[in-house]
Amino acid sequence: MKEGAGLLAEYLLLLFTTAPRRPKALFNVLRGKRTVSTLFAGLTTDSLSLLGSCHGIPLVSFERATEQLVSDGWLKTTQPGYLQLTIAGAAAQQRLKDTLYLPTAWENYQAADVRQFTAASQLALQVVSEAVHQQRRYYPITTDRHIQWQVKQWFRQWQSPTLGQQIQQELTAFLQTQTTELATVFSGSLTGFNFPGQTEQQLATQLDRQPLEIVVMRKDLSCHWVAWLKQQPTTPLAALLRPLLKVTPVSSSAWQTYQDYRASQNLTLVAQRRKLKLSTVREHLLEVAILWPEFPAAELLTPIRIQQLTGLFSENPRIETWRFDTVQAAFPEIDFFWFRLYQIMRCHDAA
Amino acid sequence: MQREAIYQRLKAKYGFDEFRPGQYEVISDLLAGEDVLAVLPTGTGKSLIYQLVGSLLPGLVVVISPLISLMQDQVARLNYQGEKQVAALTSQLDFGTRKSVLRQLPQLKFLFISPEMLKQPRVLAALQQTTISLLVIDEAHCISTWGPDFRPDYLSLGTLKQAIGNPLTLMLTATATAKVRQDIVTQLQVPAAKQVVYSVNRPNIYLAVEQVASEADKRERLQQLVLAVKRPSIVYFSSKRQTDLIAEWLRSTTHLRVAAYHAGLTAENRFKIQQQFMAGELDVICATSAFGMGIDKADIRQVIHYHLPTNLADYVQEIGRAGRDGQPALAVLLYAPGDEQLVRNLNNLTAASPAEIQLDQQRFQQSQVAETDLSLVLQYYWTHGYSVEQVTTQFESRQRAKEAELAQLLTYVQAKTCRRAVLMAYFNEPAPDHTPRCCQLSGEPLPLAQLGLTASKAQSQAATIPWQQILAQLFLQNS
Repeated sequence: MKEGAGLLAEYLLLLFTTAPRRPKALFNVLRGKRTVSTLFAGLTTDSLSLLGSCHGIPLVSFERATEQLVSDGWLKTTQPGYLQLTIAGAAAQQRLKDTLYLPTAWENYQAADVRQFTAASQLALQVVSEAVHQQRRYYPITTDRHIQWQVKQWFRQWQSPTLGQQIQQELTAFLQTQTTELATVFSGSLTGFNFPGQTEQQLATQLDRQPLEIVVMRKDLSCHWVAWLKQQPTTPLAALLRPLLKVTPVSSSAWQTYQDYRASQNLTLVAQRRKLKLSTVREHLLEVAILWPEFPAAELLTPIRIQQLTGLFSENPRIETWRFDTVQAAFPEIDFFWFRLYQIMRCHDAA
Repeated sequence: MQREAIYQRLKAKYGFDEFRPGQYEVISDLLAGEDVLAVLPTGTGKSLIYQLVGSLLPGLVVVISPLISLMQDQVARLNYQGEKQVAALTSQLDFGTRKSVLRQLPQLKFLFISPEMLKQPRVLAALQQTTISLLVIDEAHCISTWGPDFRPDYLSLGTLKQAIGNPLTLMLTATATAKVRQDIVTQLQVPAAKQVVYSVNRPNIYLAVEQVASEADKRERLQQLVLAVKRPSIVYFSSKRQTDLIAEWLRSTTHLRVAAYHAGLTAENRFKIQQQFMAGELDVICATSAFGMGIDKADIRQVIHYHLPTNLADYVQEIGRAGRDGQPALAVLLYAPGDEQLVRNLNNLTAASPAEIQLDQQRFQQSQVAETDLSLVLQYYWTHGYSVEQVTTQFESRQRAKEAELAQLLTYVQAKTCRRAVLMAYFNEPAPDHTPRCCQLSGEPLPLAQLGLTASKAQSQAATIPWQQILAQLFLQNS
């Protein structure tokens, strides 16, 4: 890749394969847009673990990066709105996999509100550090009132003469599970007494990495930390995490719809009770079906529909290429909801 | 309120015995119920004025501020001073958080907000239900310089002020010519406001302009200056990209501790760089003009402009960040032939031809959404019933004003006589007598030794601290 083409482009290249993929859908997965179409794209491209991992990424940066990959000859367009790897792109991807820092725990984005936890823990650690050194006047790392309130509640509960020591031991135990490089990034990024903390740029210079790699490492560290804290539920920082843990990766509204469906087994009834349109109830169930592999899709579909659809697509194993027109032509009574639910079920079966 | 009571509050709240020039006058006028336009040079503690008044009057202080980063700095500073009931209402907050801030308005003491956010019906409605002790227009010159062709909602502040019950108003700026002051009081509909105007002159800042032949020479001269002159220094650029590139270049070629600062950084990185700078951990900050508005660091010894500022008022504001401790400091403007074109290009970004204006009105009449930056600005005029002719006149007059300001700036750059006299003339102020510590006359070398501004040996970049040691330092006492 030409100099200056940007590390974002390099990371994005890792999301493509030699089969065509829709960049806009991948963008929406990274942003965490929870529409059925985005979630389904995430399922078929095996990128659901990235859902919401790059919350603030601007569309313009994403598009500039993909355009760069096209102009460098690493991606190509075969049909409008789709991109796929070229042979050179596939080789470049392999090289990047060997050199770039690759996240290993991002699936934890579905287990907790990692972004919120990162912000709250950063302030909590600053508050503890300043308190240990009897500092009452300092500039807080975040001015977000909600996070300040959350941390204040937490600190009131856990404040003690030994809290600093406890935190130091807890962080030491966690960082011992990580590489020295990651531990350096974690500790260097902290803010506290007489220690403003290093920026990603500064850490990148120190560790001979690119700033975006440090960003990726920090996100990965937050994810590892979330996973680690779930195993240490009695520690002070686990208490800060607890309210941010997700019972399920599904949104609470969709989960409620699903629970109601389990109880009544009747979509129309659920719609009435939840005061939702039937189409919304169906969207909720599709969301659950995508994010919750135990979803009883077969039960909902009924054996007859499964049989019809299985027969129709038996010749084509590439689930993401199935078209609803095919269904409409053969079985006009089967609407899109059943088609999509069947696709989701087969994706999970194939996984 | 009695003079004594005001001084007591100053002592109790901030630990000071004396006000800085202008502070007391503005505070007592406000407490006497007068609207005030205060032009006080950078470094005179303008925010203390509304903080102190806010602590004495019941109700909410609403501060109109132009930049989110500035609002965040101001909130953090109030937090630092122990004020908890403070919030910034910005477009970066999600819907739920905005709603929660509005719900908490009656409990808040300070609210920072942009003109664009203030005009939102929900926000106005919430403020109408709240007792407002003081409305502050921070960086009030933005009304005149940004209003017409960049942030037109600044033009609505007068109407918005009426909508929230016409509260007591304080307009604050560090630099404003008579024309800008007139614009401010007209737009805010406060013609009778008391004007407290202090000289913009900062005699301890030595003024210099260095003419260089090319971009390469400019870089080289920049490097010499940051190495030769006492630190810390700020270097201002007009583009984010150049800020990053030159910071990286200085870092790799000088061993100085250099960081870049601009609006493209995350709030966390901005916070860290500001705090490192305040703590003396950085020698040089390469920045766009966003850096410094909220910074209160007294010992900055040098401000270099790598690119021309947009006008002399901005220049005075930016160099004013040097030498707040009253000790000698240096302001150097680096100029290569043709640099003014960059300013013209920036000015052109907000220009619009009569044809473009006409076309955009048609877009508005056809109820098409405003998408471009220009359309978003023009939308303001169409929704406020302006005609194409009126808008065209407005835009032409703004462009002429910008061209005139550039010409004045170039007069300063090319001056063969006392530069301070040129600067003072721009603000209609009398020039002090020229002395060797005033400014660099054409062809003279920089008198660094005489000013006591020769650099001492550079601090070496800090060695990497092992992670275990960082944790111990942060969380263990006496470590």
